[in-house]
Amino acid sequence: MTVTALPGFPRPVPRWRELGLLAVVAVTLLLGGLSLGTTRTGSLALAHPAGLATYLGALAAVHLALVLAGRRVDEVLLPTVGMLGGIGLLLAERLPQDLVVQRVGSATLGLASLQLIWLVLALAIAGSVAIAVRSDRWLRVYKYSWAALGLGLLLLTFVFGREVNGSILTLDLGPVSWQPSELLKVILVVFFAAYLAENRVLLADARVHVAGRLTLPPAPYLLPAALMLALALGIVVIQRDLGAALLFFSVFLCLFYLASGSKVDVLVGIALFLLGFAVLALVFATAHERVAIWLDPWSDPLGTGYQTIQALHAFARGGLLGTGLGAGLPAVAGQLPIPAVHTDFPLAALGEELGMTGVVAILGCYLVIVARGLRIAAGAADDVRALLAAGLALVIGVQAVIIAAGNLKLIPLTGITLPFISYGGSSLVVNGLVVGLLLAFSDRGPAPLAEPRPARRLGRQQA
Amino acid sequence: MDPLTLTVWAIRLAFLAALYLFLALVARTLLRDIRAASRDPAGALGRLVVVGSANLPAVGSVFLLDAITTLGRDLGSGVVLDDAFASARHAMLTFRGRGWYVEDLGSTNGTLVNGDRVTRATPMGFGDELQIGATRLRLERGIA
Repeated sequence: MTVTALPGFPRPVPRWRELGLLAVVAVTLLLGGLSLGTTRTGSLALAHPAGLATYLGALAAVHLALVLAGRRVDEVLLPTVGMLGGIGLLLAERLPQDLVVQRVGSATLGLASLQLIWLVLALAIAGSVAIAVRSDRWLRVYKYSWAALGLGLLLLTFVFGREVNGSILTLDLGPVSWQPSELLKVILVVFFAAYLAENRVLLADARVHVAGRLTLPPAPYLLPAALMLALALGIVVIQRDLGAALLFFSVFLCLFYLASGSKVDVLVGIALFLLGFAVLALVFATAHERVAIWLDPWSDPLGTGYQTIQALHAFARGGLLGTGLGAGLPAVAGQLPIPAVHTDFPLAALGEELGMTGVVAILGCYLVIVARGLRIAAGAADDVRALLAAGLALVIGVQAVIIAAGNLKLIPLTGITLPFISYGGSSLVVNGLVVGLLLAFSDRGPAPLAEPRPARRLGRQQA
Repeated sequence: MDPLTLTVWAIRLAFLAALYLFLALVARTLLRDIRAASRDPAGALGRLVVVGSANLPAVGSVFLLDAITTLGRDLGSGVVLDDAFASARHAMLTFRGRGWYVEDLGSTNGTLVNGDRVTRATPMGFGDELQIGATRLRLERGIA
């Protein structure tokens, strides 16, 4: 079958691998919906069929758009993200719908409907960015403008932000509340990728001896690292947002290591961060409290340690295979055991209902995203694009690790979202943008021309 | 066990199995990609892409670079430039450990990196632009 291009349009490129993986995603999500519906109603039923159909339709639409656009971009990212988003949608459908309620006109939308709207919007952004972005010039040339914009966003939140749970994170724009730190993470990756690529050779080769065998890059090139440390700690101080600070600094260290190839620099960076964090934990009440909860939540089981303990119990109830979707989380006196389950503790809820088996699979999906990002970076033609791709994928991976480890009480809990699964408009939309950029940067250019077929001999044709 | 419990168990296990089927398929794709990449012959240290030129080489041509590559009008150069403003032995690109360096070999009209004149061995990052006479060449990573 030959596909001919419509006039004025590029030649469509079939994406069989992506289509196959999307089919598996559809089957998995339908099984999940069936599991939830059957547990809930007591007879064979599919939960929220309209929502699932809309979501799968949106995935198919993005796939079709990529085929028609004719760019040869990555075929694994979209199904992986689709799987994570679908699991998030199932979780949102499973949780009580009045966790989040928003009135739009006369209609009142609950958790699952809002999550579906944001997911479809995120997929639409990912698809259009993947198709429309042809060059990364606009990102790399204006790196200082982007950095200034990021700092401006931060200041804006500080001045006009609303305080939630002791952290100033949200900015109200009409009916939608927005978390600028989500967008800030993308802006910082762009800035550091462009900056580090520009100075890569100097960072690696022009080294200054400090003491003994310890060498560091010359001071002027360490300045952005110092600024980054100041920024990360500044966020903690001003906004009391430990998660964002940890995320920014980890991703910066990863990028710094990719650019300079020096393990010593990374170790020094980690040491500085731990030092700064220790000072903060001593000085600031929020940080101090988080660490205290982490060390011993049982000292105040009904107060500050409550959520963490309930999350641990949820994981314990789940065991190896889980209780099944819809069978966990027995409401205690009409109350949810974990109040922030849809934003900060989705992994605990999934750990209870899908068990360790399910949680490992979900973490595996994040690993796939990181692996794909690093593969795209390895194939990139220049340093800026390589660092951009690696940084964008690592932002998603590191964020998932930080919140997953927080849920499991491996590190102090920080209030950031689990990418693609947590409820939250800004998180979903920005992560959609990240996936779109990764897809755009994975473009392998136009397909090589096919070898001309050897012409058949005249004699054989007649025979 | 009543049939409903059995059905729910079957669906739950099928859901988890489908999750892992997805991961297995993705893992196979990733492995295939890596194998295909390692089979590719061109593991060059870098390449020069011509982005602007007076005569030859034509815009768009690509040179795979050896660890030491000379540029100039001389026919023995690694990259032969047919440019009136290029010297016979004009400049040299060397790969030293982690990155590329360019040095001017005493040319008449000089060598520019991103618009700045080269006076000594100057580091070049991937994506940087080298200008000799009217010829502009962009350094890119070798095909991975």
